[in-house]
Order: sequence, then structure tokens, then C-alpha cells
Amino acid sequence: MSSEFTIDEWMCAALANTIRDGEVVFHGFGSPCATIAMHVAKRTHARRMVLVEGSTYALDPDPAFVPPTSNDWSLMRRAAHVLRFEELFDLAARGGVDRMFLSGGQIDPHGNTNVTAIGPLDAPKVKLGGGGGGCNLSATVKTLTLWATRHRSGRTLVERCDVITDLGYVTPEGTRQELGFPGGGPEWLVSELGVFDFPDGRARLRRLYPDVSLDEVRAATGFELVVDPGLRPLPPPDPAAVALVRRLDPLGVRRREFSEQELHRRFRWADDGASCAACL
Amino acid sequence: MAFTEPDKLVSLEEAAGHVADGDVVALGGALSYREPMALVRELVRARRRDLHLVGSAHGIDVDLLVGAGAVRVLEESYVGYEQDFGLAPAYRRAAESGRLVLRETCCYTLLQQLRAAEYGIPFMPVRGIVGTGIRDLHPEYGEIRCPFTGQRLVAVPALAPDVALIHGLLADRQGNVHLARPLVLDERFAFASGKVVVTVERLASPSEVAEAGVVLPYFAVTAVVAAPYGAHPTSCYPHYTYDRAHLGEWVKAAGTDEGVRRYLDRYVLGPGGEEGYLGSVGEGRLRALGEWSASDERWKELLS
Repeated sequence: MSSEFTIDEWMCAALANTIRDGEVVFHGFGSPCATIAMHVAKRTHARRMVLVEGSTYALDPDPAFVPPTSNDWSLMRRAAHVLRFEELFDLAARGGVDRMFLSGGQIDPHGNTNVTAIGPLDAPKVKLGGGGGGCNLSATVKTLTLWATRHRSGRTLVERCDVITDLGYVTPEGTRQELGFPGGGPEWLVSELGVFDFPDGRARLRRLYPDVSLDEVRAATGFELVVDPGLRPLPPPDPAAVALVRRLDPLGVRRREFSEQELHRRFRWADDGASCAACL
Repeated sequence: MAFTEPDKLVSLEEAAGHVADGDVVALGGALSYREPMALVRELVRARRRDLHLVGSAHGIDVDLLVGAGAVRVLEESYVGYEQDFGLAPAYRRAAESGRLVLRETCCYTLLQQLRAAEYGIPFMPVRGIVGTGIRDLHPEYGEIRCPFTGQRLVAVPALAPDVALIHGLLADRQGNVHLARPLVLDERFAFASGKVVVTVERLASPSEVAEAGVVLPYFAVTAVVAAPYGAHPTSCYPHYTYDRAHLGEWVKAAGTDEGVRRYLDRYVLGPGGEEGYLGSVGEGRLRALGEWSASDERWKELLS
């Protein structure tokens, strides 16, 4: 085990820490960081989590490796069972999925995300891939973990999404409560610059990576930055979690979520070896 | 309608004849997995136009049909190549230039619409959608209040595609079909659609299909085609993994209209049929894709 680790490894470990033991957790497709985070959690602090793979709907598989595409049999290997598409979505509709991971080309302070289009919907400047199951799932899944790997670009965390694909706490149509959505909304937003929580349904900066300043986060964030008075550096990840990230993803698929510049960041564990196995 | 002919084996060309210009077409499989690519290529050769595609999360099947100018309306929940190759270039270009009618959908919404068709009822209620841009793309959705609880729900209309195109592992001549998991929406498409056209890796005896497990029963299946490597370049486990290099070649080509034309000439239109297509890809390459099961190392190598 080398004494250094990188931002992609740290983010996977931080995302894993958003999972509580015993939860039923699901990720979508195109989300290697979330896939890896779930497998890390399952092998560390959340051994009783129910892990449902994003496209194979496999239950608790033991992947040979994380493949570049999510609908691959590698993410089905040695699974306890393979759910049907219908079974997973019905489970989520009746409130049986505790946590889902969602990301977006844009994310607003209420936790709404956009994976549909940049620019107006009738004449998109960039047509993004689309939301998969997000616009139903985000209404009924109990808790959401959001993540963003391109926060620094200044284009990801925005005051208003050009299009809302997945639901946060408040949309122009009203709040979750007003719209009758039983799901609880986003609990965490983990980016490559820091970690946000949502104490009043609005993103609040709670932790910073040690090589990032508050001013950098402010400059990269398109909405007014609310800062937790107890703002602190994020504790280094559990070395065991970092080792797992490396073992699970030998192809480095997770690294494709980041810009090249971020991948050059290097971190070290403190001399006293302090790390945090399950805190954010 | 029950399909009761004892022998449904047809050529790929005849099978594609079940799809008419303007049809609502459901594509089986998903993303990089078990997409009905032989049929997709045949629709391109047949110069089909104005198709309305429906599906969950898809990749090259949709991108290729859009690139070939076969699509008018797009009702998929996602089109792209994930972190693998990113956005779908032909789809993106068509969407941004206004050539496509975008009706982006959501996986559960689509499932419930197919179920309504299967159940023979006019709509199904779902949660979510309100407050999102997806709602704006679907004036046909309604909003209702539950007569028992007063809950506010979105009513989505029954959706019965004209034709479902599915690639499976085994079928007998009568049309009993074996598919491997994940099944994605294949079963729902088969039971909700007017016609079901199936290509399979291999034709088999009824007893062999029964032993492997019938997923689509004969009466739901309109036509069967034997099309080995019919999902290529997507995967059809356990026979072969996806052809990542070929997919990369398409994505690169699809960046321009000229590139799409060159790709189609080289692989789809030029060779003139599936035998020609597979010949252009190369026997060695195809055989290698089946080596994924030899070891984790080999599998990883094929996907890197």
C-alpha cells in the first residue's frame, strides 16, 4: 500500500461513507464512482446493506472488476440473485429503496439535477444522455446521495438547472410535500472540492478537502454558498477503503469521471495515521 | 393476437418487413447489452423512415438508427455510452439540430405504460415527473387524484408499440424463446407490442429451449430469425462480451454525418447483409469476444 492516495479514490471512499449499514442501495448506470462506493461500503462498515447493481439489477454481486459499461455480466458475478427490472422499480416505488446515487451535468442548491439538456429543451445547446429512471425514483427513494466530479468547472453547481431531470427538495411546481412525493430528498452532495449536507433542504458546505480553500469553492459554485459554522477538513479515508477501491477497479474506470487536472492531486495520511472509517 | 403458425423461421429481410415507416418500435436489451443490432442494421438497409423509438437506457442501436436518418420521434430514458465513450454523437447532433422530436422518458414511467397495455387498461398512475422537464415533453400525461386517498398522481397512458425487436439466445421454429438475465424490458415489450420479432444466436429444438427456460412463449412471437452475433457490437452473454473497440470506432465515426456514411458503407450497406457485416468485423475479432469466460484476466483485457 503506497502512502499516497488520489482524489478519485478519496471520493469513492467518501461516497461509501454516506451509506448506512442495513440500507437497500441502488445506483444508476454511467456511475462508476457510485458503483465502487457501494462495493466499498458493503465490504467495510455496511456489511448488511442490500446492494442492487444499476443495470444488471444483481443483488450483492462480487464483480471480477468494474467494467466501463454498467450492463455487463462482470457486475452480476456471484450475485445472490438477479432482480427483474420490474422488481427493482416496484420496490423503489413503494418506498423499499433506502438510498440512491444521482449525479448531473447541473445540480442546483435544492438538489435538483439535470442530465437531460444544457440550454432550452426545445433547442438544446448540448443534448445530454438522459435521466434513466431518475425522474420517478428521485420522488420515492427514501434518501439520495448526489455527487459531482466537475464542481471546479463552475458549470456544474448552478443557481438554476436549465432542465430538471431528477427531483431535489423544491421545484418551480412546489416542494416535495406539496407534490406528495414520499421520498426524503438529497442528504449529501459529495464533490471533488468538498462535502455538502442539506439541513434545511438547501446545500450547505460542511467539509473541504485539505488542498481546497473556501474561496476556491465559492468561485466554483454558481449559487450563494452557505457554509456550516463548523466547517472542517474532511478526515482522510480509511486505508482499507482506498485499497478496496484499487482492487475493485483495476481498469480505473472511476478516473474517467474526473478532469485530468484533478487526477494529479495527491494526498497523504497524517503521520499519526488518523483516518475515519465512516464519517463525513 | 396469438401467433400460432407452427414455423416462424424467416430471413432477416422478411423479419424487418414487419416494421413499417412511422411505426412505434421497442428495442430490447439496454446500453451495451443484447441490443437487436442485426435487425437494426437491416432496418438501415431497408431505408426505414420516421420511426418512433421507445426504450429504457440505450446506446448504439438508437445512435445508429438516428445517424442513418431512420428516426423521427425518440422516447428513450437515456441514449449514450456512459463513462465508456460518453454522449451519443449522432443522437446528439440530431437532437441539437431539431431533426428529432424529443420525448425523453423515464424507466418506471415507460414500464407502467407498457403494463397498462399488458393489463388492458387505459393508463397507470405513477409518482414523480411533476416539477421536471420530462413532464413538459409529454403533454399526453395527465394528473389525477386517487379516489380513495386523495393522493395526487401522474396518469400515463397505455403504450403498445407496433413492433418489439428482441435479440435472444435460443428459439425453436414455433417461436419459444430463451433469454438470459438481465431481461431489462424484453418481456414487457413482448407482451405489450402488436408484433414481436426475435433474432437468436442459435435455432434449437423445442426440448432444448424448454430446458434452458422459455421466457417468451410462442404465441407472443411473430417471427424468428437465426442471427449469430446478432447483438454485436453489444454483448450477448454468455456467448460474447461487447466489442469495445468496434463501439469506439462507431463513436468516432458518428461525430460527423460523413463519418456515419463511411461507417454505414463499410459495415452495413456495402457488405449488404449480416454475413457481410460479420466478415467486415472479422472472424478473429468475433471469436476473441467469446474468450471472456476463460479467465478474469482475459475478460478484463477484452474490456480495457
